[in-house]
Amino acid sequence: MKKILIGSYICLLLFVAFISYLFVDPNFFYLKNIYSGIAFKNRQIITFLYLLIILSFFIFYFLFLLLIHRKLINAKDIKLLVVLTAGVLFFAYPAMLSYDIFNYITTAKVLFHYHENPYIVMPIEFANDPYLLFTHAANKIALYGPFWILLSGIPFLLGFGNFLLILFNFKLVIVLFYYGVSYFIWKISKNIFSVVLFSLNPLVVVEALVASHNDIAMMFFTISSFFFLIRKKVGLAVIFFILSIFIKYVTIILIPVFIYTFWQTIRKKTVDWEKAFYYSSLLMLIAFFLSPIREEIYPWYAIWFLPFVGLVHQSKTLLYIALAFSFGLLLRYVPFMLLGTHFGVTPFFKTALTFIPVFFVLIYVFFKDKLWLKIFSRS
Amino acid sequence: MKHYLWLPFLIIFFFKTTTSFAESSYVLPYPPPMPGSFLYKIRLVSEKIQKYWYFGNFGQFSYSLKQSDKYLVEAKTLFEYRQYLLGTQALKKSDVYFSETKPYLIRARKEGKNISKNMSFIKDAGLKHIEVLDKLELQVPKTFVWKPEKSFPSTLDLKESIRRSILIRSKSL
Repeated sequence: MKKILIGSYICLLLFVAFISYLFVDPNFFYLKNIYSGIAFKNRQIITFLYLLIILSFFIFYFLFLLLIHRKLINAKDIKLLVVLTAGVLFFAYPAMLSYDIFNYITTAKVLFHYHENPYIVMPIEFANDPYLLFTHAANKIALYGPFWILLSGIPFLLGFGNFLLILFNFKLVIVLFYYGVSYFIWKISKNIFSVVLFSLNPLVVVEALVASHNDIAMMFFTISSFFFLIRKKVGLAVIFFILSIFIKYVTIILIPVFIYTFWQTIRKKTVDWEKAFYYSSLLMLIAFFLSPIREEIYPWYAIWFLPFVGLVHQSKTLLYIALAFSFGLLLRYVPFMLLGTHFGVTPFFKTALTFIPVFFVLIYVFFKDKLWLKIFSRS
Repeated sequence: MKHYLWLPFLIIFFFKTTTSFAESSYVLPYPPPMPGSFLYKIRLVSEKIQKYWYFGNFGQFSYSLKQSDKYLVEAKTLFEYRQYLLGTQALKKSDVYFSETKPYLIRARKEGKNISKNMSFIKDAGLKHIEVLDKLELQVPKTFVWKPEKSFPSTLDLKESIRRSILIRSKSL
């Protein structure tokens, strides 16, 4: 039974990796030989396939969680699953749902190839650069922190000017960070349920392993910083926490929790880590809700709070909300995939699909926990 | 009646020649903190730091043009307040920065970068600078004798320094 399940899961991963190449952009001339345009010409079919993939991912996800709950799979199996998930999806085409990876590469090129400051000079200023054909948001200066830009130099320079090699170097870096987060969740919790809750979450799998968003790198430094704090390695903890801020700035919101836990640690007092992670997840959830101030809520922003939710999965309400968001956020792609436009009814449906699952979860919690009784008894 | 057909053309011609100097859509910055204020010292420090932040030939080009713009606006403001000595010094700084812009672009071209957009940017900036300087030239006296409290007086050749600044910009057109 277990083998069949894992085998089917690998088939799903292979299918996702295959489907991702149907999304190759017509301007992405490096893969012009395999460009089919199927994803852009057969919107209904591709939307159906995407929904099928998402639903399958969630079914496997819940099955794995159920098997862990019933102690039918062990840590070794989970390790295999995590390795396989990243191992297979490493080969997926990253710009299936978002073009951010091209932006990382082009920004790295501004610094490491053109030797210009990416915070001053936009990629679009290098007219005739071939990467501009498929890079989106090339008319913006660097959006990410300086540490990410420095880190991006490693995969960029190791690509020796070969774009496809650079692209997969970036994917490899993201895969390593994904393994890192999974490892530190395991080290902190010693609970495979926590590991699976984060690492096999379909949103994490799609956004970190297919789309290769750097949010996973930021969360690697955050989670490892808390791990070092637990191990009383305060110096490393501070360095890693600062590095996490300088990847995407968001973790700056965790400063109160970090200072509190840091202060307790250096005073050799006990830290209620369960509470610390709970408040961290709430703070990251606040940052997630504040993101529309800058642009909009992007699906991969859920990676900000999901590692913490994995660490405090005993808080059922938070867990249900996080899972509902994971599902809703992945549905966010559907309106554009189906309609092919960012305008018209698309923004409305994007918002509706994001929040409807959360709304149902809240109703469920409201009645299950008899919150209505508590509210009315107070009044 | 037909003898007067040329009249509108003549009006347009005169209107055009009397009101336009050199016109450019290029936008100059607001006046920066002026000499004598505490913020001016901060501005000078920030100017030094920014020199390193704007690395790369495109970066240095942007930096030089930005500083040239700022010092030009500073000079214009100071001239308007008849602070001719400080105005002349600001204008010289603006000239130095402006003349540094093109060499950075030439270096960028040697690195294989496409500089056509920035070259037209320099032209726009040069036109705007000339537009400001043309107007300024009409407002300032030919010379001005500067009498410091404990030193010998010196004569500032204001029109000449403005003309020199215009010449530097004209080379970029």
